Amino acid sequence: MSVLDRTGGPAGAASLAEPGARSSVRSVLERGFTVIRNQNWIILVSGFFEPVFYLLAMGIGMGTLVGAVEGPGGREITYAAFIAPALLATSAMNGAFYDSTWNVFFKLRFAKLYEAMLQTSLSPWNVALGEILMALFRGLLYAVGFLGVLAIMGLVTSWWALAMVPVAVLIAFGFAALGMGVTSYMTRFQQMDLLNFVMLPMFLFSATLYPITVYPEAVQWVVMALPLWHAVELMRQLSVGHLTWITAVHVGYFVGMVGAGLWLTTTRLRALFLR
Amino acid sequence: MTERADQTAVGHHHDDLDTTGLAYSGRAPSHAEMAGRARRFGAWYYAETTLRGMRAYLVPNAITAIGQPLLYIIAMGLGLGALVGSGVGTVDGVDYLTFVAPALLVSTVVMSVTGEMTYPVMAGFKWMRTYYGPGATALRPDQIALGHLLAVVIRFVVQSAIFWVIAVAFGATTLGWSVLMVPIGVLAAVAFGAPLQAYAASLEGEGFQFSFVQRFIVMPMFLFSGTFFPLSVMPVYLQWIGWLSPVWHGTQLARVASYGAEVPGWLIAVHVVVLAAAGLAGVLWARRVYARRLIS
Repeated sequence: MSVLDRTGGPAGAASLAEPGARSSVRSVLERGFTVIRNQNWIILVSGFFEPVFYLLAMGIGMGTLVGAVEGPGGREITYAAFIAPALLATSAMNGAFYDSTWNVFFKLRFAKLYEAMLQTSLSPWNVALGEILMALFRGLLYAVGFLGVLAIMGLVTSWWALAMVPVAVLIAFGFAALGMGVTSYMTRFQQMDLLNFVMLPMFLFSATLYPITVYPEAVQWVVMALPLWHAVELMRQLSVGHLTWITAVHVGYFVGMVGAGLWLTTTRLRALFLR
Repeated sequence: MTERADQTAVGHHHDDLDTTGLAYSGRAPSHAEMAGRARRFGAWYYAETTLRGMRAYLVPNAITAIGQPLLYIIAMGLGLGALVGSGVGTVDGVDYLTFVAPALLVSTVVMSVTGEMTYPVMAGFKWMRTYYGPGATALRPDQIALGHLLAVVIRFVVQSAIFWVIAVAFGATTLGWSVLMVPIGVLAAVAFGAPLQAYAASLEGEGFQFSFVQRFIVMPMFLFSGTFFPLSVMPVYLQWIGWLSPVWHGTQLARVASYGAEVPGWLIAVHVVVLAAAGLAGVLWARRVYARRLIS
């Protein structure tokens, strides 16, 4: 036993020797941050640039072709101000979703990391929550950075915009929880490609780059069922401070998604490893 | 020796021999004959192998090849087009769908080439080492490099053609010269794919490089190459991205082919020369890197 502890890592070796000493969600987080510090912080940071590039290109370039657009509450806003909240919602979704799908898939099927974690006194709940919290951290990072960019570009017109940060985390929570649960069903790389077939259309059709009103009514109902649409609308309302009872519906959608996702992920991890 | 020489002579008379069948029957052409064929047609042999390997991903590739044009034409051409229609109306003298369709064809093909020329190249040298088996035969490293590129080119001829058919079906372009968009898209893909192949081959280990290529080259290239709006509406300090980008050069050519966009003759020549030069430079660079890594 003591030999194993020594190979396990010099730092916390002594405290890890006590069974169950720190076997909580904290251990999972600690590992996550160590990986970021040692390996992939540069990839993590680079993800911030994607929505910024989109905002620059579409906001400036398309803006000259489109002119003003009708924003929440019927007020005219610039095209850049119209797409900016949508891009923040999309970036929160993408960051969390890729963290909780590809990343988790690799750990689950190749690195066998969860198998190892569940051999300790960590519970499926600990593992699931730890991984999801890591995805949220990424979402939080991007949201704060992007809000800064919006402020510099003069696209923030309401104090409600500050609420976009916690809301970005909520959106990330919904996608991360569900994404990890869905990933647990995947066994091969090719199946992971299916996720792209869902994510790209969702980005393109969720009223991100143009208002939902360009669709026929039947299509509008389909779009309104998609989670990203609720995220985009929620962000758009916050960006100008126009809140209605529908705001509560959007928030409710994500609260429900978080609950369902957490339940699915935990159930699946239990089914996979604790038979 | 004489017997073998006889067989070689026989082999010469039947160049379309079923060599696999012959090998099983024990009457295969001599090693010298087989090696000679490999030296002559090695790039095609390797391309065939790569294409057969791609069959494993036939379904996802087919869904991408059909789904991407549909999604982009509907979302960007029609959805965004509705906004542009109520904004400035026409762009470059045509409706927005017509304006954006050639650009979407070129940029989706160039974005797809990124997938073919990063991880599969790394797999060839490192993960699966698929280059080393053929490298141990009479095939030369430059044939392996070229063969991989040829296979990718064949895939993108098909993919561009599907895009073109869908664009015609949506009325985004008309039958006729617009079919030139297919070779133009493939040329743009080679102009970006060949140098990328050489770069990927020069990497010893996978790190953050491919993510960087994706985030800081491919993504900006897609967004800042005059795909969704004329390059001229961007501030000058962002226009240079387009000038450097194969996507912009390919897109401008495709617009000329699709709806007769007004581009002066000398500029058309510049677009063609830039794309051809980038592709050629990439092929030559890839030859060197493959030779260095496969002959040691």
